[in-house]
Amino acid sequence: MSIIDLTSMGEPQSDLRKELNDRLTKLQDEISEYCFQCGKCTSGCEAHKLLELEPHKIVALLKRGLINELVNADVIWTCMTCLKCRERCPQRVAPVEILFALKNMAVASGKQIPGKYTGMLQSILSIGLIQDIQQTTTRSNKPVKRDELSLPPLSKPTDVAKFQAGIMKIAMEKV
Amino acid sequence: MKKKYALFPGCLMPTEQYAYELSIRETLPLLGVELVDVEGFSCCGEPMKSVNQLLTLYLSARNLAIAEKHHLDLFVPCAMCHLALTECQYILEKNPAMMERINGMLAAEDLKYTEKRHIAHTVDLLYDEIGIEKIKEQVKKPLHGLKIAAHYGCHILRPSEIGRIDDSENPQKIEAILKVLGAEPVNYPQKLDCCGAPLLTNLPESALTKTGQKLQAIQEQGIQAMVDVCPWCHKMFDSRQTKAGETVAAKLDVPVLYLTQLLGLAMGISSEKLGLELNLSPVQKLQEGGAK
Repeated sequence: MSIIDLTSMGEPQSDLRKELNDRLTKLQDEISEYCFQCGKCTSGCEAHKLLELEPHKIVALLKRGLINELVNADVIWTCMTCLKCRERCPQRVAPVEILFALKNMAVASGKQIPGKYTGMLQSILSIGLIQDIQQTTTRSNKPVKRDELSLPPLSKPTDVAKFQAGIMKIAMEKV
Repeated sequence: MKKKYALFPGCLMPTEQYAYELSIRETLPLLGVELVDVEGFSCCGEPMKSVNQLLTLYLSARNLAIAEKHHLDLFVPCAMCHLALTECQYILEKNPAMMERINGMLAAEDLKYTEKRHIAHTVDLLYDEIGIEKIKEQVKKPLHGLKIAAHYGCHILRPSEIGRIDDSENPQKIEAILKVLGAEPVNYPQKLDCCGAPLLTNLPESALTKTGQKLQAIQEQGIQAMVDVCPWCHKMFDSRQTKAGETVAAKLDVPVLYLTQLLGLAMGISSEKLGLELNLSPVQKLQEGGAK
């Protein structure tokens, strides 16, 4: 099984896109009822000052149905998932959840996934974890690895084939 | 009575943030917590949420099902993992159709999620379950008024709707623990600011800028040290402090420790056993200052 099955970089997954589209449409309906653009989400947004993410504008654009434009915008990948927008919204709108759905849609639409997400996913598929044991150093630059610290063995999937078979079902279901 | 937990290590702590694991394994058993090592856990799924939320849910449910198989509650020291697993429980409880769908996939590994188990994090385990009184009994070397900034991390505080470990806007549990260790917790305006780690994957420079800004503010306020309770936060504030300083054009010099390391020092455990030589921030400043 390859990473393509999960991220559909090869061929677009129409069922996955349909499900995400349904989720976004549902979010759009909810927002239209509730969000009154108070801007509380943006005032607390950790990515606002640094990266110009404005959650209230994301919500406003979704409200107007501009899903494609949002999916193609780099700014959706600046969210730090601090969850303050979801916590503080007086109307229980959750911009962070909208951003997750938009990013999932970008991936399902076969857009290039930014940064190290692909590498992390590949690592999960092969060993179950985002990375294997790393060598670190002490303050005095002495190299150290897990097994030198009398820590027990790493907990990770014991039967990798079965583990992959489970994840494969997500790809086959084309969720 | 001993409290028994499966230790859910996640990815980051057991593969590079060894000091957290060492200090957890040194301190918690002395406070009456039995940690059980369970084979077969995987990533919690949280790092994949931007890519595929169903994958996140699946991986979380998988880990919960493994704990369930062993009839164990979970101790989850990573804030990211703690959020993923708690949120998974919350979603599956509310959505039986999703639970069925996930269980259909889990069958590939002969696993099944059926019931909610307790998921503890370091802070609520210490404050709510072990309790301040019991910690007090174990303090042998009080920290003598050491001024400390507590950093909770976003994911253990929000969203409160699904049940988090402390008040989302005014958390005080770490402060209460610091006080009983003899330290002086300092209130500071940047307390709820993010460490930046979630951006490490795709915008590492910006991630480090967030880290640098918070550390710089702490340094300027004359706070002597920071404690954190998440391997991601610690990776930013401690392991990458020098780099973070470069992004804000500051020479940062803030000792950063895991809460469990500071707890261990106050309990009289040697700095070697607590992995203190693995901290890359200048923690020796505290030992020179008598906090050892």
